[in-house]
Amino acid sequence: MGLEMKTASSNAPLSPGKDSAVEAQLLRAFAPLHRTAMGVAWGVVGGGLLALATLVAVLKGTDFLSFGLLAQFFWGYRVSWPGVFIGLAWGFAVGFALGWGFAFVRNATVWLWLTVIRSRAEMDQYSDLLDHL
Amino acid sequence: MVPEEEQIEHAVILLNEKLLGIVLGILFGTGLFLVTNFLVLKGGRHVGAHLGLLSNFFPGYRVTFFGSIVGFFYMFLVGLIVGVVLGAVYNKIAKA
Repeated sequence: MGLEMKTASSNAPLSPGKDSAVEAQLLRAFAPLHRTAMGVAWGVVGGGLLALATLVAVLKGTDFLSFGLLAQFFWGYRVSWPGVFIGLAWGFAVGFALGWGFAFVRNATVWLWLTVIRSRAEMDQYSDLLDHL
Repeated sequence: MVPEEEQIEHAVILLNEKLLGIVLGILFGTGLFLVTNFLVLKGGRHVGAHLGLLSNFFPGYRVTFFGSIVGFFYMFLVGLIVGVVLGAVYNKIAKA
């Protein structure tokens, strides 16, 4: 996905090979996603899409896609002018939760994966330990 | 902790927004293209009565083969915008 990396502390992109002992490919594969950034990004997109869809329905004057049914989940939401802003807020909230959750699960999976890889490497390293005694 | 692991833990991935936009655009566009043509091939009395409501957002879109091409371009545009916004907002906050 054309990724770059940076250190969270220094704000400077990592330049593997010079300052970093880790190869660029390794960082590219295992560096975590920023949870809050992912949450806000999904929130902006989710809120924007729901507000836009509601706005189109309001301007056309008809709830042609039965958006009103979203009120079952989104308290206070209606296909109306205030509903555009309520939809924006709900869309942001749901998008944020999804984005944050996505990043959290992705990072946790990578961490688990790394743990498994390290465990296997250690097992391999010590597999012939008894031969040397 | 091993320095390599520490480095990985403190690094953050940044997204390439243009690439993400193009990828999402192709996915969204292909999705609508396939769904539309599935309904066209399936046939019936009221072909894509519900999917056709998308024409409220996408003028010119219909549940026909030609409509699926029009829909592809509309959804490509939506995916492109979604990807670019997603990447730009993510990068802005991740860099802060």
